[in-house]
Amino acid sequence: MPEVSKMKKPDVKLVLLGDMNVGKTSLLHRYTERKFKDTVSTVGGAFFLKQWGPYNISIWDTAGREQFHGLGSMYCRGAAAVILTYDVSNWQSLAELEERFLSLTDTANHDCIYALVGNKADLTDPRAQLCQDSDEASKDRMDCGEERTETQVLSACPTPPASPVSLSGITPGKQVTPEDAMALYGRILRYKGLEEKSSLPAEKMCFETSAKTGYNVDNLFEALFDLVLPSILRNTNENQHSPTVDLEECRGAKRGRPGCC
Amino acid sequence: MSHRDEDVTADSWRQHRKHVFVLSEAGKPIYSRYGSEEALSSTMGVMMALVSFVQSGDNIIRSIYSDGHTVVFLQKGPLVLVCVSSSRQTEKQLRGELLYVYYQIISMLTQASISRIFEHKKNYDLRRLLAGSEKILDGLLNLVDSDPSFLLVAVQCLPLASSLRDNISQILQKAITPNLVFSILIANNQLLTIVQEKTVIEDSRLEPADIHLLLNLIGASSAFQAGEIWTPICLPLFNPDCYFYAYISYLDPPECTVCLLLLSTDKEAFYAVAECKRKIEEAMMAQNSLSLIAKVQSYSVSQVGVSDLRHFMYKPFDVPDTYQQLTQFTSPEMEAPYSSEEEKMRLLDLYRYMHSRIHSTSRPLKLIYHVAERETLLAWVTSKFELYTCFSPLVTKACAITAITKLLRWIKKEEDRLFIRYPPKYSTTPNPSKSSRGGKSDQQDSTDNGFLSLL
Repeated sequence: MPEVSKMKKPDVKLVLLGDMNVGKTSLLHRYTERKFKDTVSTVGGAFFLKQWGPYNISIWDTAGREQFHGLGSMYCRGAAAVILTYDVSNWQSLAELEERFLSLTDTANHDCIYALVGNKADLTDPRAQLCQDSDEASKDRMDCGEERTETQVLSACPTPPASPVSLSGITPGKQVTPEDAMALYGRILRYKGLEEKSSLPAEKMCFETSAKTGYNVDNLFEALFDLVLPSILRNTNENQHSPTVDLEECRGAKRGRPGCC
Repeated sequence: MSHRDEDVTADSWRQHRKHVFVLSEAGKPIYSRYGSEEALSSTMGVMMALVSFVQSGDNIIRSIYSDGHTVVFLQKGPLVLVCVSSSRQTEKQLRGELLYVYYQIISMLTQASISRIFEHKKNYDLRRLLAGSEKILDGLLNLVDSDPSFLLVAVQCLPLASSLRDNISQILQKAITPNLVFSILIANNQLLTIVQEKTVIEDSRLEPADIHLLLNLIGASSAFQAGEIWTPICLPLFNPDCYFYAYISYLDPPECTVCLLLLSTDKEAFYAVAECKRKIEEAMMAQNSLSLIAKVQSYSVSQVGVSDLRHFMYKPFDVPDTYQQLTQFTSPEMEAPYSSEEEKMRLLDLYRYMHSRIHSTSRPLKLIYHVAERETLLAWVTSKFELYTCFSPLVTKACAITAITKLLRWIKKEEDRLFIRYPPKYSTTPNPSKSSRGGKSDQQDSTDNGFLSLL
């Protein structure tokens, strides 16, 4: 494809996945535009090119609606990082990641990294309510204690904690703890056939963010950009290969090889 | 602002001018224009009961007339659409509007997959697949109420000097990639130009309704203005069972008034199609097209130079020739006294009334001169055109006829600016024999969209 050579070449590909209304578009908007605004439900997928230092990072913001489910694997093809997003105040949004979205990542790179991102932290965590541009590491967060006990035992499909899902979104309480997310991260690694020891640790790959206040958002994207740097360098070094998305190569790639970190 | 949260037991809910409901044959709510579907499930149950009761007598329920309300039913496959209107619109017009709603749903899911879903599971909750699309349907219904394009089943294009339009069309014509079938440029929600793949439109034309649905989709999802969108979309009148893949991108962020829409039959073509956009962008930059487009506006009726004429809508019937024309119409801005929303709606209602008389199934008319309370209207249909005019109330019949002669002469003189005269074409299929009707080869793809896996 000679045409593609003219395009400002993306060096690496990131994909945002997750159920509808968890805030994927808002997260990206917060990071790129430094703003939070009302968005409408995404149609299909939206492609963004982000300049990061000397590199061009392409980010696919996908629709969470089931209507567009079939396209997910196409957006994920050749991805170096997948951001699996859920809503901390909605248990189902975490469960959906495992049920609906995980299989879409089969087309991602074999050394693709996975981040679990609990958005809307401002609804449950007082620290996330302060308008800030992220700094605190996400490790030492405290939880709303009440739900902790119930969610410590984790099966493949745990039952939601006591507080009911508020459909109208009036009083969302915290439904997903960081431990839930980390447990899911472990299951993702197992699904991918990756060794926990040789993969990135869960504490490093699970984030809680607020697109509304900006809490932890920069942290998330920049941490991921740092982590995909090896992919970028490899792509740019592989002289012949088009760094965009090499459809053929990725299609042939087998998953199951442990990541090299 | 959401109509979703409305109290469906309140009087204000009952007083809406036009309700639209969509339900499945099993009586499951799918969509309501006002109020939440859950709250209305029993109401929709009653609607379905009516439909099936009449059906059991080997009959079809079409409409119910009551004091001040018209209830219209439309059954399309496994979906039932119901309109409850207190407007003076006719059953035929309301049914036409329901059909647009149906088509918009098809544009998102395709007819084939809807049938398949309900074949597998009769009481499937289609809202699962339409979740998030309510705004698109809401937007459509608002447009149907306020934009005469839907009534006339014709597209209004942006008035533009034909030299500029041709230049832009040529830019689009040159930026092609295999499997690209339509290149459409939109400015301020009006069609600027459309370039079509030769073989694809040989045996099928692009219908105005498909363009309306596309325009509505873009209007309703304008939130991501910086990104480039890639999404499946079905053009129901072109082919109700297949998807095209649409690339949507604004050329003038952050203003976002000029939108490029490229339709491909290849799901994987995003990067190639995005490259077409970059070519188009470059060429338009070189020719300074964007700033020229930015200056373009709709026109005023005063340009016609007929004193008593307040407003008009003119729809020419296309001439049978080798060009597949897109049905278009032209109309000036609505100006005083039709500046307020209420007055605009009142004028549109008058037009709808005239339209219903002209297109009456029992007694169609060719010419109507209608003296209303605050204006006088004249509608005229010939083999060449359909025309609706609105005059000040003091106009005489003779004056109106002279005015129309002048108006027709003015339109003739301006037609290169007011209409896309010959939609340009390109050829992107190396092997044209196979790919007519666009997405046919894509048919299996709808299964690929994950619907079957849900069942």
